[in-house]
Amino acid sequence: MKIEPEKLKHHNLKPMKCELNYLSKSDGSSILSQGNTVVLVSVNGPLEIKSAYQSMEKATLEVLFSNKGGKPSVADRFKENVIRQTCESAILGCLFPRTGINITIQELENYGGLVACAVNCTCLALLNSGVAMRHVVAAVTCAVDDVGNLVLDPTHEQIQSSQALMYFVFESSEKNMVTGFTEGKFSEDTYLEALELCRSASDLVFKFYREIVSKYCSVIG
Amino acid sequence: MTDAYKIIHPNKYFEDYISCGERPDERGFSDHRSLLLSVHSIKTAEASAVLKCGNTAAVCGISLELATPKAEEPDNGFLVINVEMTPLCSSKFRPGPPSDQAQVISTAVNDVITNSKCIDLKDLCIVSDKLAWVVYCDVACIDNDGSVIDACIVTLMASLKTLTLPTVSYDVETEEIKVDPTVRIPLKMSGLPVATSFAIYQTPQRNILLSDPTSYEEDMCGGIGTNLIVCWNEGLLCGVQKFGGSNISTEDHKELFRVSKMRSEVIREAIITCITGDTEELSESPK
Repeated sequence: MKIEPEKLKHHNLKPMKCELNYLSKSDGSSILSQGNTVVLVSVNGPLEIKSAYQSMEKATLEVLFSNKGGKPSVADRFKENVIRQTCESAILGCLFPRTGINITIQELENYGGLVACAVNCTCLALLNSGVAMRHVVAAVTCAVDDVGNLVLDPTHEQIQSSQALMYFVFESSEKNMVTGFTEGKFSEDTYLEALELCRSASDLVFKFYREIVSKYCSVIG
Repeated sequence: MTDAYKIIHPNKYFEDYISCGERPDERGFSDHRSLLLSVHSIKTAEASAVLKCGNTAAVCGISLELATPKAEEPDNGFLVINVEMTPLCSSKFRPGPPSDQAQVISTAVNDVITNSKCIDLKDLCIVSDKLAWVVYCDVACIDNDGSVIDACIVTLMASLKTLTLPTVSYDVETEEIKVDPTVRIPLKMSGLPVATSFAIYQTPQRNILLSDPTSYEEDMCGGIGTNLIVCWNEGLLCGVQKFGGSNISTEDHKELFRVSKMRSEVIREAIITCITGDTEELSESPK
């Protein structure tokens, strides 16, 4: 499924705002808002961890997701798993064997696309912390509305009325899909179309990363 | 000799198999393991099923309870799905509270059932705002040799398909509940969602898709968490999950969809034959 280049120009993601070094005591931190969804991430590491969790081959990632209410839930474990698996493929963990990298994610506001925002914010915090990375990752959300049209980066209302919701994470070097998961029912063609749409929209996120990093780094700027 | 080779050079050992176009258990890349499914195995449960898929074994039991619906959703009953990864099934799971991995598996199974909309929670409601069924589905994994989520979903679906609800009469004024277990109506279901797992093995030339992986294959491909899971229900996709691990292209996606669609048909037929003909062994023929 190919999408015409003219169509790509009209891609619009919700406005993104970001601040790095938001926390003074962590090795890397960032606060990111995508539309009204806001997430704060802190990265610490590589640090010493309990020998039970140590891996001889690579750094162990420990991800903690705290929701707004503060009460841990099974759904949070799922989000942690998404973020851990995604970051594990992005970080060059083999450079830091027998250590741990701690990622703490705090949800501040959720108006849809929380997981995508958390993944993007984690990636920015990792860049900020200076951990060696293979590539950066960008998460994009896409909804299928009740008529079957694709809605890129849907708002809270659009998510409520949608029949399916898809999350994709792409890596920066080859634009391959790293992570993807879906909610609701949809056809095979819709899925492939959404995948291509999100793949091209991920460019906007990568562009945003570049802007933010160059803003905070006077040498590149 | 082969065993020593496997221990000394685990990656090379696996790679040699793959480069010859074969898997360590002599299956082709898109072949599945044979299934053994049996329903009504637990007499004390309302409905139950046991599945063995290769060495992977899972059992599901369903119990029923009556409760008052939630005030926010007065017309909905409850479907509570719990997946337990017992310490029996693998050394990765310890006794005690469920590990993160177990919770992720549980969420994944739950998501498939919710997303496929195979059960309408309104069918579980008896009297709006007063009385509704709570269907407790307990799935336990007894032996984990890969593709646990697939196995859990098959047992769950087979049990739900055989579940019958006793008729209940409710007197609004006296609030008296009468349950008649002799007259039973089957639970309405739209379709039978079936999930298929794939492990992705990265080689320099291309990525190899291994369907229905064993736990050994999962470990070689980056752990159970990196499996790609495709779930079909009534010709529509109701869940595509992949978390990290190796990357796949659009062509691979199409191949995945083709294999998983075929498998979902085979499994759906297997479940239906099993229910109509009690126990049946089914070997999937290699393509």
